[in-house]
Amino acid sequence: MRLTDASVAIRPRSAWEALDLGVLLARRHAGLLMASWALISLPVLALLTALLWEYPSWAMFVFWLLKPAFERLPLYILSRALFGDTPTLGQALRAFPRLLKPQLIASLTWRRLSPTRSFDLPVLQLEGLSGAARNQRLVVLGQRDTGAASWLTIVGVHLEMALWLGLVTALYMVLPQQMSIDLDWQKLISPDAGNWLWLDHLSNLLYALALIVWEPVYVACGFSLYLNRRTALEAWDIELVFRRIRQRLGGVAYALLVGLGLLLVQPMERSWAQDTPAAICPLPEADPLGPDADRLQQQTLTSKASRAAIGQLLDAPPFENRQTVTRWRFGDDPQKDVDRGDVESLGQLLRGLFHLAEFWKSIDGIALFFEVLLWAALFGLIGLLLWRYREWLTLFATGREKRQRVARERPAVLFGLQVTPESLPDDIAGSVERLWDEQPREALGLLYRALLSRLLGEFRLPLKSAHTEGEVLQLVEELYQDDLSAYASRLTRHWQNLAYGHRPPPLSSRDELCQGWRQLFGHGVPR
Amino acid sequence: MPSTAVRHAPPAPPTAPLDTRLRIETPEGIDLILRPASLVPRALAFTIDLAIRGLILGVMFVLLFTLGQFGMGLGAILMFLVTWWYMVLFEVLNQGRSPGKQIIGLRVVHDDGTPVGWGASLTRNLLRFADILPFGYTLGILSCLNSRGFKRLGDIAAGTLVIYRDRSAERPPLAAAEPLRAPFAMNLEEQRALLEFAERQGGLSAARRTELAAILAEPLGVSPEQAEARINGIAHGLLGSA
Repeated sequence: MRLTDASVAIRPRSAWEALDLGVLLARRHAGLLMASWALISLPVLALLTALLWEYPSWAMFVFWLLKPAFERLPLYILSRALFGDTPTLGQALRAFPRLLKPQLIASLTWRRLSPTRSFDLPVLQLEGLSGAARNQRLVVLGQRDTGAASWLTIVGVHLEMALWLGLVTALYMVLPQQMSIDLDWQKLISPDAGNWLWLDHLSNLLYALALIVWEPVYVACGFSLYLNRRTALEAWDIELVFRRIRQRLGGVAYALLVGLGLLLVQPMERSWAQDTPAAICPLPEADPLGPDADRLQQQTLTSKASRAAIGQLLDAPPFENRQTVTRWRFGDDPQKDVDRGDVESLGQLLRGLFHLAEFWKSIDGIALFFEVLLWAALFGLIGLLLWRYREWLTLFATGREKRQRVARERPAVLFGLQVTPESLPDDIAGSVERLWDEQPREALGLLYRALLSRLLGEFRLPLKSAHTEGEVLQLVEELYQDDLSAYASRLTRHWQNLAYGHRPPPLSSRDELCQGWRQLFGHGVPR
Repeated sequence: MPSTAVRHAPPAPPTAPLDTRLRIETPEGIDLILRPASLVPRALAFTIDLAIRGLILGVMFVLLFTLGQFGMGLGAILMFLVTWWYMVLFEVLNQGRSPGKQIIGLRVVHDDGTPVGWGASLTRNLLRFADILPFGYTLGILSCLNSRGFKRLGDIAAGTLVIYRDRSAERPPLAAAEPLRAPFAMNLEEQRALLEFAERQGGLSAARRTELAAILAEPLGVSPEQAEARINGIAHGLLGSA
């Protein structure tokens, strides 16, 4: 065993951390450990099943009893692997019979129920002691960390159970439902039919499978606890470092010796102290100010100047990032004891709650009151949410028709002109033709009003009383109806000339406009 | 999850010594050492928490049962709180420690060592339902045994670690000796080893102490018998007058 070859970081750990190292150790060699465990334990289970086919519980019990025997193989593999000499699967299996001999009976009988089984096994198997020496060794090693070893075993039992039940549940879940129902019924109708032995043996097999996962971890954790105990008892970590120091200084010491010899032979000159290699600590008398003393005074860059430059560099970004944070806080910021304060206030709260509850109990119907209160709070919350997101709801949750009706409010008057359909005659073009000669202003006005009314009614243009004629034309253009926009712009031009410029439209435009109207809107009544 | 620190990404190559410690470098160039806790302490902490929760629920249900319908209503609310918020509230408000973790000496942190927040804590505790499957935390156990940092599925999803809390250590008494100056330069690790030798006197047998000290007899230039006293002296010298 050479400590320098150890494949784990050696240092004294707490007992829990030693267990963690065991998990890591088992994981690193997981393939080998699990395969070897399966190869020795599953054949034994098969043999037991064959021998005790009628008594599956006994097969299980014997298999469980034999666990310490199997555990010797993972320990062998781990102890070899710890110092970098990992055996192959074949080597490990060939070594197994030899491992079984020492202390097998003890392991399987009175040590079987020991909670520190995994912690003790390395002593029995690896140290090769016997009799009183072994017992004494166990006592010494067991002075500490046995608590963790016991907990490891206790937790391990539950983990085995959890894994086993997990496997059973998983298997049950992947059964087709019809099949499991059939099984249930058959079991209920004829529980003694005798065809259920295979189910028990199947559950034994699942337990063995769960052990394949857990047992290597269990053994490795016990082993790492043992290692940790020995590390603490024998200061392995210190030994490692000491050996390294000796190795490093072995050569240096020799060189120093030679160097000193040479120096003694030579006459003492003034400069030898400055040329001494830096590996040797200067004597305190030679250097009264220590590392802060000024050095290198004979050259342009003295140690003082260089230290100042370094200080300057370190004082500027990116090495230094100073910030001034100003904020308000309360003047008295008492340092409160969080834990005790919490516990006390919790206790007070509980007492208060209890008194309150006693008081409430005396009042009839208090439950009803709170029920109403809670429901009211719930409805209030829903109402609040609805109100909060009402616009969102109207935007996305209501129908298109309704939305348009809500959104549109049709103006009755634009530019001082009545634009409601009721204010217009039925036959617009005819009325315009009749009026054109005597009252051209009314005729053109009527036509323009009728156009606006149709734009509002049929094309649903969002016209407002603030729009000018030009803006109305722009809106019409956005409808992308060439005939309509051409007609509207023509009519608007005539109307603007007449209304604002007092220039009557040319006579020829009467027929043109009326004709255009009839083509666009026909004779029908706009409603 | 805050990204203020960078995990040393490459997993240890097979030749590197196995160690349980994770080294995390902060942007300031400081190495934080985290010690993730594995299955056994975590299972114990969980069991304690489970027992506490069971106790709370049991006692409160007995008390509330006497209050009739109102009590049953309160009980339902309490059940909800204890089931879903017990772990989260303790973890976020009590520095990552539920009572069970506090007793065992564990705490929950983000992967980069920062304190666990609401999002991560909720994620890791809600995902217990993935870990529980198919029965009794089977998936959680397998994941915990298999992942670096001993994470169950919820921890992987939330990016959290369960680590050992650092307890403040007391300085052990050194073996009495006259302070001496080391005759050779030592790096930090070597100085620590010498100090530890002096500090762990009580735990080592006399023979083992002599044996260990004899390793350094030659570099120290003393006989193996005097080496122990010399090392103790150097340890005092290293420690200074503090």
